[in-house]
Amino acid sequence: MTERPDYLGPSYDLRTPTEVVPTRGDVLRERARRALWPPRPEAWAALFALAVVALGIHGLWFQATLPDRLPSAIDWKAAAALLARDARPGDVVALAPPWAERAREVLPDRLQQQPDVPLVTLALPRYTQALEDLPGVRRVWLVSLPGAPGASRTIARDLAERSSRIDGPQPLGALTVTRFDLKSPLQVLAFLPDRLGSATVRVGDEPCQPDLRGGLRCPGTPPRRVIREVREVDFLPRVCIRAEPGDPAGPLTLEFSEVLMGSVLRGHLGAPGDAGLGTSAPVTLGVKVDGQEIGLAEEPAHAPGWRAFQFNTDRFAGKRLAVAFEIRSPGPGRPDLCFDAFTTP
Amino acid sequence: MNATLIRQRIDSALPRSARRRIALAWALGVFVVAAATAPAVGISRDESVYFNAAEGYAHFWLEAARAPSHAIDLADHYYSANREHPGLAKLLYGVTHAVLASGLGMTSHMEGFRFGAFLFAGLLAGFLSLWGYVLCGTWGGLLAPALFFLVPRNFYHAHPAALDLPETALWLATVYAYWRSLGASGDQPRTWRWAVATGLLFGATVATKHNGWFLLPLLFSCWIVSALPAALREGPRALPARFPLAFPAMLILGPLVLFATWPWLWRAPVPRFREYLAFHLHHENYAWAYLGTLMRDPPFPVSYPFVVTALTVPAAVLAAMVGGLAQAGSRIVRAVRGHAEGISLPTEVLLVANALFPICLIAWPTVPHFGGAKHWMPAMPFLALLGTRALVGAGRLLLPRHPGLVTGALAAVALAPAAWQVAHVHPFGTAAWNDLAGGAGGAASMGMQRQFWGDNMVAVLPALNDHAAPGARVWFQEATWLAVKQYQRDGRLRGDLVWASGPEDADISVWHHHLEFRDKEFRTWTELGTARPAAGVYLDEVPLVQVYARPGAWR
Repeated sequence: MTERPDYLGPSYDLRTPTEVVPTRGDVLRERARRALWPPRPEAWAALFALAVVALGIHGLWFQATLPDRLPSAIDWKAAAALLARDARPGDVVALAPPWAERAREVLPDRLQQQPDVPLVTLALPRYTQALEDLPGVRRVWLVSLPGAPGASRTIARDLAERSSRIDGPQPLGALTVTRFDLKSPLQVLAFLPDRLGSATVRVGDEPCQPDLRGGLRCPGTPPRRVIREVREVDFLPRVCIRAEPGDPAGPLTLEFSEVLMGSVLRGHLGAPGDAGLGTSAPVTLGVKVDGQEIGLAEEPAHAPGWRAFQFNTDRFAGKRLAVAFEIRSPGPGRPDLCFDAFTTP
Repeated sequence: MNATLIRQRIDSALPRSARRRIALAWALGVFVVAAATAPAVGISRDESVYFNAAEGYAHFWLEAARAPSHAIDLADHYYSANREHPGLAKLLYGVTHAVLASGLGMTSHMEGFRFGAFLFAGLLAGFLSLWGYVLCGTWGGLLAPALFFLVPRNFYHAHPAALDLPETALWLATVYAYWRSLGASGDQPRTWRWAVATGLLFGATVATKHNGWFLLPLLFSCWIVSALPAALREGPRALPARFPLAFPAMLILGPLVLFATWPWLWRAPVPRFREYLAFHLHHENYAWAYLGTLMRDPPFPVSYPFVVTALTVPAAVLAAMVGGLAQAGSRIVRAVRGHAEGISLPTEVLLVANALFPICLIAWPTVPHFGGAKHWMPAMPFLALLGTRALVGAGRLLLPRHPGLVTGALAAVALAPAAWQVAHVHPFGTAAWNDLAGGAGGAASMGMQRQFWGDNMVAVLPALNDHAAPGARVWFQEATWLAVKQYQRDGRLRGDLVWASGPEDADISVWHHHLEFRDKEFRTWTELGTARPAAGVYLDEVPLVQVYARPGAWR
């Protein structure tokens, strides 16, 4: 092809484009874009000032509203009076948030009508069936601080899921009190830590002797102690039998006689306090009923926790039999063990 | 003498420049407020040890002056107490105690020791005000100390005769002197006087606490970074001419001051200094609660000091500080790009490095993570300076004709809730959490450390005095025996109450809420036969201390 194109030809005779008239919105958008980008020092300063003012006002609001969000002494007294009037055997008190432990100072710790029956205040973070058995508990009184910083409804939801009836919440100033009637309370036939005083305890074949402080002193160097205590396991209080395990040749054996059996023997074990942190050996808990081995639970090394165990005891149900626990650990550095066990229908 | 004459005399005694007058006013103000509010603050574990050491150190200097030939033997005797920390601050506490409490009888023993701490707090306020003024005028001088002391944890540390606030004050003073020695402030040329002052102040810093040693490499790094653009432009031969005289002064005077003020080193300087270093290089890790977990062993989360700073500095003050950091960052970028008119790169680098380094140091995963924000407190004055400059800068940009109006309004909005919080949490400064955390309650829900070192027990002393049975044995748990003895010495705790070493031999147990010690509380329930406290100390309903008693021991 040698011919040059005709630049003035019809193919280059384009139409004049129609003029686009910017709308008011376009103009405003363009102005806003120019004002904000690239950001000028004044814009940054305004943003900074806005943040300081917003957070300053938030701080003032927080300080100003905090007293009203927290219970007064009168509110606590009202809750105490309510519980003193209405609590009955099988009741416990739960707290939300769990750190509101002034409750233990203010609320009754015994039933007014039956002073020999304790009214326990729990400060647990969760109450699901999977995490907390709540043995022997029929009703839970939830004392809440709904306006407190960090308050959540998690605990109320946990309790609601396992309840057949909910009464409340009843506001008492900045507190609310709600009663949860558990739909399937875990009935306890025998809670073995409470029967330690009548148990036979020995290391190998050598018996342990009662000591002056409500526990048992067992042979060994240094002497071992077995006692019913409230101890911390995984940062929570647990009523348990605290015992130092024996070695494979001479296990520590605790035998409870005349235990009323049901269809299940259930319990928990864990290392109390710092005991589980520096140990290298697991601890095993063998369980026998009427001389027959029914199961073995283990507290692994380096894994502190409150572990549940459960064994079927259908074949012994309704009988009063001897229940024995053999605690042993294969190696040195054995941690103390904290365990509970109870029989249920 | 008439009023005019008095006014003239006061005027002649006061410094001439507004900068120094404001700084002096701040120093005196902080001193007076700290002294007035200190009796409510309890004695922490470490402070009780420092009291004991300080008294011994003061005795040493008195006896050494009488018998100089026995000085080294005396040093071994008196300075073996608390030899894991150098002696300067404790010596000051010992001297103020000897003069004010033992000598003149003007103060209680506790207040006598703490007098030295108030001096350090005043010094810190003064230097902050001075530097703030130089950086951004009158508002700078007025606001910088406020941004520091209206952080509740910083305010708390103005009281105890401990080492963290003195270290912070001396760190700031050293960096200020170094900055003046560079001539970077623009208003004065560099001088050897400031270089010598830097060396002496550095010596005082390392003679107070070990973290002062980091200053030398930090300042040297700052200088290298600041000098790099010039070195690139003019070649490396330009560097020696600019080498700060402060560095040789620090290298020579620092160890000399440490040696002179710490007689423990006199008998065997090298082995004992090595022992001191080894203690801090292999410091044990205390258990510490952080976001629902209990940190016991490294590696610790890098986020820890950043999150704790964000949740303990009042939010609006934090915003000012973060804004100041961002502003300094942008100024450094502009200076490096050559758009540096009116920007001093050494100043910016110095401020940013000192605001971040102490925090980053604790963020290192193998560095022990305990003690809360106090371990990176040397960062706080620099964050306060940067925050102040940001507030002043915002005023100048947003309302150039009346910048003070905007700066004043912003400062009021930022500082009012902070001041409110300081007043609200006092004297429980170690339990202070900001409004972003939700205060003490929000922090407890998040699983943060509730308090530390046992000083909040001071609030149950009146109840113990009123209700404990005569001669009751008390397990004070987190409070040390030395702290208990000090309370009794000052008549704040009944002298008949007896120290018990555990719940087994106690009639009364004073339980300090620590996650890692909950087992002690539950053992108390077993031993004392009750889970019901007889008394307690609560901050926004969050228990700090609860007292348990055997039946009959609480009347």
